[in-house]
Amino acid sequence: MQIKVEDKNTVTICYVTGDIDINTAPDIKKTFDRVIQGKKPKVLVNFQSVNYVDSSGLATLVEFLKNIRAYGGKLKLCTMSPKIKSLFEITKLDRLFEIAPAEGDAVTSFA
Amino acid sequence: MVTTQMKSETDSIRHASADIVNFILSKKKDAHRDILFDIKLCVEEAVRNAIVHGNKSEPNLPVDISYDIADNKIIIVVEDRGTGFHPANLPDPTHADNLFKESGRGVYLMYKLMDKVHYNARGNSVTMEKALA
Repeated sequence: MQIKVEDKNTVTICYVTGDIDINTAPDIKKTFDRVIQGKKPKVLVNFQSVNYVDSSGLATLVEFLKNIRAYGGKLKLCTMSPKIKSLFEITKLDRLFEIAPAEGDAVTSFA
Repeated sequence: MVTTQMKSETDSIRHASADIVNFILSKKKDAHRDILFDIKLCVEEAVRNAIVHGNKSEPNLPVDISYDIADNKIIIVVEDRGTGFHPANLPDPTHADNLFKESGRGVYLMYKLMDKVHYNARGNSVTMEKALA
């Protein structure tokens, strides 16, 4: 798993490559914690290169959302495979997270 | 029927799912990737629960895993040495009050993604089935 964080204009984009699961969640959380410490106002997680998410991964994202909302920030997700998106739908987490089909759509919708 | 025993260690989770996915692919090369995704996820959730909740992460306590393919479906049994639990007592993670909770989705996903899920009366052994086509 790799995670890269880039600030593009006013949006902080987290590019995750690989799995978001029980094995990788601790490292992803460390990166997310740095974003939270910076109180980034607009945060996007790009799932284009994410192949797999388990319940630990979902938990990590829920915690990230809670922490960002706690300081008044916004978190969105984008570019999910249909299979991973279906996990958000099954667990009804699609009610908590705004999931955009493409990065451009998500960035524009922050404005 | 393949029977294996693993230590209650985090590495056992991915080893178990890799063994089972490879077993399926050895018998059914054209297994759909979405079906393999579901099986991998549910095996990992079941083994994780067995290690963390069942065996309380005590490395010397084993997790017994067995699996086989019959009538074009995979049958997987995961058993721990814990006192067991009753899945009916788990809160619904999709309820509005629970959506922001960080845990409680593993067993729910197992029920949703597998065709059949059955816990024994003690609640320390789960049997899961899923059609491979």
